[in-house]
Amino acid sequence: MTRAFKHIVLALIVVIWVLPFVALVTTSLRSETASKTSGFWTAFTPTELGHRFGTHDRDQSEPFVTMSGNIFERLNGDRESFQVSGDVSSILFKGRIPDPDKPGKTKLIKQLIYAGEVMDVRGGEFVFQSSGDFTWTFPEATAPKPKNLDAFIKQNPVFGTDAYIEVLFENENVPNALISSFIVTIPATIIPITIAAFAAYAFAWMRFPGRDWLFVIVVSLMVVPTQLAFLPVLQGFSGIASWATALNAWMTDCEATNTCRVASKSFASLWVTHTAFGLPLAIYLLRNYIVGLPKELLESARIDGASHLKIFTRLIIPLSVPALASFSIFQFLWVWNDLIVALYIGSADSADLVFPIRLQKQLGTFKDQLHLLNASAVISIIVPVIVFLSMQRYFIRGLLAGSVKGG
Amino acid sequence: MGSNRPVIAGNGLAIFFTVVFVLPICGILAYVITSPLDGWMVQFGTWLHETNNWSFSTFDTQERFAKIGFAIRSIFIAVGISFLYFWLSNWLNQGLARVSSRGSAGREAYIIEALQPWIFVGPALVLLILFLFVPAFSTLSLSFQEADGARTVRNYAFLWDSSALGYVQFRYAMRNSLMWLVLVPTVCISLGLLIAVLADSVRWGIVAKTLIFVPMAISFVGAAVIWRNIFAGGGIQPQEAINGLTPSYQIGLLKALLGHTAAYNEPLYSLKFWGNFFLMWILVWVQTGFAMVIFSAALRGVPEDTIEAAKIDGANPFQMFFRVKLPQIYSTVVVVWTTLVILVLKMFDIPYALSANDDDKLLLATMMENARNNWSVGGDNVENLFAAIAVMLMLTVIPNMIFNARRIRREQRELEH
Repeated sequence: MTRAFKHIVLALIVVIWVLPFVALVTTSLRSETASKTSGFWTAFTPTELGHRFGTHDRDQSEPFVTMSGNIFERLNGDRESFQVSGDVSSILFKGRIPDPDKPGKTKLIKQLIYAGEVMDVRGGEFVFQSSGDFTWTFPEATAPKPKNLDAFIKQNPVFGTDAYIEVLFENENVPNALISSFIVTIPATIIPITIAAFAAYAFAWMRFPGRDWLFVIVVSLMVVPTQLAFLPVLQGFSGIASWATALNAWMTDCEATNTCRVASKSFASLWVTHTAFGLPLAIYLLRNYIVGLPKELLESARIDGASHLKIFTRLIIPLSVPALASFSIFQFLWVWNDLIVALYIGSADSADLVFPIRLQKQLGTFKDQLHLLNASAVISIIVPVIVFLSMQRYFIRGLLAGSVKGG
Repeated sequence: MGSNRPVIAGNGLAIFFTVVFVLPICGILAYVITSPLDGWMVQFGTWLHETNNWSFSTFDTQERFAKIGFAIRSIFIAVGISFLYFWLSNWLNQGLARVSSRGSAGREAYIIEALQPWIFVGPALVLLILFLFVPAFSTLSLSFQEADGARTVRNYAFLWDSSALGYVQFRYAMRNSLMWLVLVPTVCISLGLLIAVLADSVRWGIVAKTLIFVPMAISFVGAAVIWRNIFAGGGIQPQEAINGLTPSYQIGLLKALLGHTAAYNEPLYSLKFWGNFFLMWILVWVQTGFAMVIFSAALRGVPEDTIEAAKIDGANPFQMFFRVKLPQIYSTVVVVWTTLVILVLKMFDIPYALSANDDDKLLLATMMENARNNWSVGGDNVENLFAAIAVMLMLTVIPNMIFNARRIRREQRELEH
């Protein structure tokens, strides 16, 4: 294998891997028209796109013989971004012309008219140039109604952040999803770490009957499909919820305002469920790390009369920071990206949906607004990618601890 | 010291009941006491809303800030309660041991030592039992019940009865699972090995590896949206829609490269049968980075002297890789393979996001969701049917689980020596 060949193969693979990101970001920065009518790869070069413009404003009703204007001015009139520029190549003429076969009748035709050619619009002669300038000439002064025309414009590349502004500030779904995802993810990362760290310490350095078997069982639970637990867990939560509703009714005056009901699917149910599902991996990673810490440290602390709780908080926690970090990234990414647990256990209230569910819904609702769909995906991806890239070292360490000996 | 047993059991029960009684009350109290915080958050939000002239309705802002306030409280209360648990149970353990040991210091220490581990593993075990262990068995039992609780095997009828609900879907799901199971791990591992070898031999390898690794941080739904730009068909129909007819109308890059015309609008992932492969590719794209990182580390761990010896014997690069390096990282390949197999068996998000209701693309997990949502025609045992499919899913995972458990057991023995 020659050196050049190696570079080429690797470069090709990297291009295949990166290209979808380019597609994502490019699409999100395009206008609605451009993103739904042409591929992202056409965004960087002049591309022919269809635009509809009106010849003049509706309130402009003074009669004229010749009207002149500019297609780009008409198109860009009231828009601040995605200003169209380039060359007008043709206009799709739709209208009735005298039928050559049946005298006295007209027929509907559709025909592409090119720059410089004459087109009959509402009885006047309409001529445009590729620069966008057009003239509309009538035999005598008339005040025609405005006419919408479809122009094909070889359009210069134009990008804008409108899609981001729209999904973040003009639509409530994405900000709500962002907030909900943070609300679900942060506790669902912190709580399992606390619980697992204590358990891992016990599994590593304490003696109790059945310890080894218990550990193997706990770790085996790592591969149990979560689907297996959904129905009973849901039943459990609805039991707790009805109990909490009763307690609420008894303790507070909620009956007056009809607010007693405690939801069974909520952020809290997601926290607890994610905690439980994350524990096997957490215990496994942390125990393998803690068991590798120098044993003399523990023994000397024991001789000095320190309790296990003290050893744990003063010695183990500070020493285990790398392992705690690597698990917290795993759990953060897992919870942030999770769809299925949130779908079954999480609240179905539109304001409380987490990002993956929102995105899955947007695949349907933004089918024809790809710039919005892609902008929304970029926003959902940015948080985990930042976390991931900034803590990549710990993530890899965690991966290796799970699969390569001594990694 | 057999006589200590009843004391230990008594102390354990005392600690258990105290904790079960005290912690929820503390939790509820903490929520009640801190509830004004939500009001302050709402006021803060309203103030921000007014000073910055936000365009949402004030009600939305208030609701959002109330939610954030609730979440912040919950984080502190949850962490506080977990520390309270460990502190309280530890304190109780020592106090009770001092009382019940009647002055014998050795006995006191013995009692404390006996209970301490259970205090530490207690919360984890309780959660795992309540959320994984018991539910797994109750799902099993649900799957053999009618909706009214009577015993039946009717829920599994899709296995043998061709007129049963889900018969066709189950066969599709098994066929697709098998294809996923063979192809995804194989492609991920081959590509991962290839990239690991290539990247370690060029100077910009670390950049290449990072770029290939990034998809691991992305949700499967996000990956689906990303690849939609490559695989999808046209954005709008080639008709005189609002913007007229547009010549370059194909929006999926691959479809454009394949030369599909505007009239052929079907996304590649919706194709009959072949669509499955495009869905698989999305998972390969996400997971190859995982295989690559692990192989890259394992290859670097191959002892230098074996490589030197092979060089002296005149091995060419291919022989070096297949005869010398690969056999030495074989166990790592197996570990990556089992991890990927489990991931594939549980796969849900990608087919759900892109082809939710298409029988031809079903996997077991998406079939469960289909059963839950669309199969109410089957009478009122939809949930039991759901449980039955879950059990089938579990059955496919079990061989792997046993394999994994044995590996971990062996690994633990090595860690201890």
